Amino acid sequence: MRLVLYTGKGGVGKTTTAAATALRAAQAGRRTLLVSADAAHSLSDVLGQRIGSEVQAVAPEFDAIEVDARVELQRHWGKVHEFLVSLFRHQGIEGVIAEELALLPGAEEIATLIAVDEFARSGAYDFAVVDCAPTDTTLRLLTLPEVAHSSVRLLLKMQRSLARVVTPLARGMVETPLPDTEVFGQAETLLYTRLASLRELIAAKETSVRLVVTSERLVIDEARRAFTDLCLFGLHCDAVVMNRMLPAEAGREEFFAEWAKLQEERFAEVERAFAPLRVLRAELGDDEVVGPERLADHAAQTFGDQHPDAVLSEMPAIRFGKEEGLGFVEIPLPGAKLGALDIAKIEDNLLIKTANASRSLALPHTLAGLEVCEARLGKGVLSVYFDASGEAG
Amino acid sequence: MRVILHVGKGGVGKTTLSLATALGAAEGGHRVCVLSTDSAHSLGDALGRPIGPKRVSIAPGVEAREVSALDELASSWVEIQSWLRELLRDEADAMVVDELLVFPGLEELFALRAVCEEEARGETDVCIVDCAPTGSALRMLRFPDALEVFMDQIFDLERRGARLLRPLLGSSSVGRLLPSETFFEAFENLYRDVADVRRLLTDSARTTARLVVNPAQIVVAEARRTFAYLNLYGVTTDAVLINRVLPEDAGHGFFAGWRARESASLEDIVASFPVPQFKAPLAPREIIGVEAIGELARATFGETDPAEVLLGASPLRLRDRADGAVVEIDLPGIDHAEVDLAATGSELHVQVRDVARRIALPASLSGRPVEGSRLRRGVLSVYFG
Repeated sequence: MRLVLYTGKGGVGKTTTAAATALRAAQAGRRTLLVSADAAHSLSDVLGQRIGSEVQAVAPEFDAIEVDARVELQRHWGKVHEFLVSLFRHQGIEGVIAEELALLPGAEEIATLIAVDEFARSGAYDFAVVDCAPTDTTLRLLTLPEVAHSSVRLLLKMQRSLARVVTPLARGMVETPLPDTEVFGQAETLLYTRLASLRELIAAKETSVRLVVTSERLVIDEARRAFTDLCLFGLHCDAVVMNRMLPAEAGREEFFAEWAKLQEERFAEVERAFAPLRVLRAELGDDEVVGPERLADHAAQTFGDQHPDAVLSEMPAIRFGKEEGLGFVEIPLPGAKLGALDIAKIEDNLLIKTANASRSLALPHTLAGLEVCEARLGKGVLSVYFDASGEAG
Repeated sequence: MRVILHVGKGGVGKTTLSLATALGAAEGGHRVCVLSTDSAHSLGDALGRPIGPKRVSIAPGVEAREVSALDELASSWVEIQSWLRELLRDEADAMVVDELLVFPGLEELFALRAVCEEEARGETDVCIVDCAPTGSALRMLRFPDALEVFMDQIFDLERRGARLLRPLLGSSSVGRLLPSETFFEAFENLYRDVADVRRLLTDSARTTARLVVNPAQIVVAEARRTFAYLNLYGVTTDAVLINRVLPEDAGHGFFAGWRARESASLEDIVASFPVPQFKAPLAPREIIGVEAIGELARATFGETDPAEVLLGASPLRLRDRADGAVVEIDLPGIDHAEVDLAATGSELHVQVRDVARRIALPASLSGRPVEGSRLRRGVLSVYFG
């Protein structure tokens, strides 16, 4: 299944763009699913019809759903959740508040991804379009399977070591419910099976992220940082949609003349900053884009003769290798500045930190034993070199 | 210290208006600090210069800082980190300690702590917070409640357990997995700070929220819900800042339709929010940098000192009446059917749509039954027998 995720700063028009993309693909005969993963759902507003937390048909070949993370969580992580709720209930905290407290941090994001993963596996769709939350949340969403894998393992270990020694004693001391092996069992299933599956889904060639921007400075700057971080995690970006471009007619009004000029400079800037991604231009209409008819027009104007489900551009992948006695890793990292990066080798991993994100990249055996000797950044690619002489450097 | 939170949907202009408020307040002679607690920081972008996790001066009397969870963890959580590393001594992935940060919750915690530090430093008159988009901002305000439960119910149990077991296990392989007392102390210090910050945030004489909106239907609809949630959490909203309002001389050709829709939204805003409103006009060019933002501040606030508390009343009030006591909460735009109530002993549980809060009742109401409730003219009244 082809999967496209739309992200960008709040208010840029992600939902509209995602809905337009899905509608156009469906009209071309692709079995399409539109998923809202933003807790502040607005699919209903854009499609002009009520969309709920169950899949429903919008048009021929076109289904939509607003994922309710709580429902998904209950399905996939019920035991852990139940335990936490019972723990809070025991303390006299009832109902929704206990439910809410039991929503572990990050769990909502994971639940959303699990839902998308299940649709992908069901084989019912050729194409899924996900309308994501604003940039930083999306980044968290997409990097979570990798990070959570380490973190959940750590938490389990913490909790287990404590439970092993504290629990038998505590059982005698207090009547608080304590986690049993079933709770741990489900947590481990989540850890080893689910997260692994999500990592595959996100890293798949068929999965792309598209960034939605407008011509505003703050919007573009945020998207540039997001692009760097998405690349750091090896996610494939395939296009930028530049939304709300003033049509020529609007730019003729004196008040908007400067904005009209600025947006062309910014368009050129976006093409440069996000190269090699294709930049699509979406114009502002004279009315809000609501309902299938307007969405179809908007999609036609945005995509022209391109298929909305095509992979619109290819990004180079992370590369490991050895050359002239030096081992190296090449990571496409457009927009990054060497001074703002933190690079360290810890055990068999290469740790790279940007201002917002950090990733530990597992090194292949051929590099794992070597020490980092140099890092270079050129043409948007970070090259980290390893001393192959075998001596620490 | 005065605290002003800027809350609203993504992309409405919270950062720009936080900075405008800061510059306006500094003009009134206040020492101002702007904190960005949105992990996708935009202060630097709006000012056209880098702002980092360390405070920097951006204009006379104005400092700015982007609170970075990554940075905070590195500098202030030494004990907690060292325990985690100890726990992972045999594992190859010691760096996950840093990555734990990616979990939400910690970011909210650090944001609250940053406000607290500002108060403790005692050199700031007005602390202006550029919040994350609505959902995360509400999570930040809810965080102290959740943390309190964790500290009272779970943390204490583990601590007692660890104290009991430490002498028995000594330095055996299991023993070293027990967190040390300094770990618990570090955690407790953190918690004490957060309890302080909650008192600060719900003190309507010092802390208020400003709702930032655009004159557009979807934005106003969300802001209305946010307004109710803020009230439920006892945070007073003392103004609505309407950003990107088309000026008189603009929007008569292509934008005529947009202009008509904007007028409808503006009327809607007046009807929805019974608080002072300020209009920030759309400019013919992009507003970047101190000078342009200063101009925007003058156009928006005029003669008003934006640091002032613009509305006195607390959205959550306790009234004594001859026939019993009443708890009142301002919830304009909310239907009675969307409200759920329950009193259990010392607490009143109130749920509005999908947001819930436990409100601690004063001793005089503790244990008394709820006689009834009604929602009239946007005020929820809960009657106690």
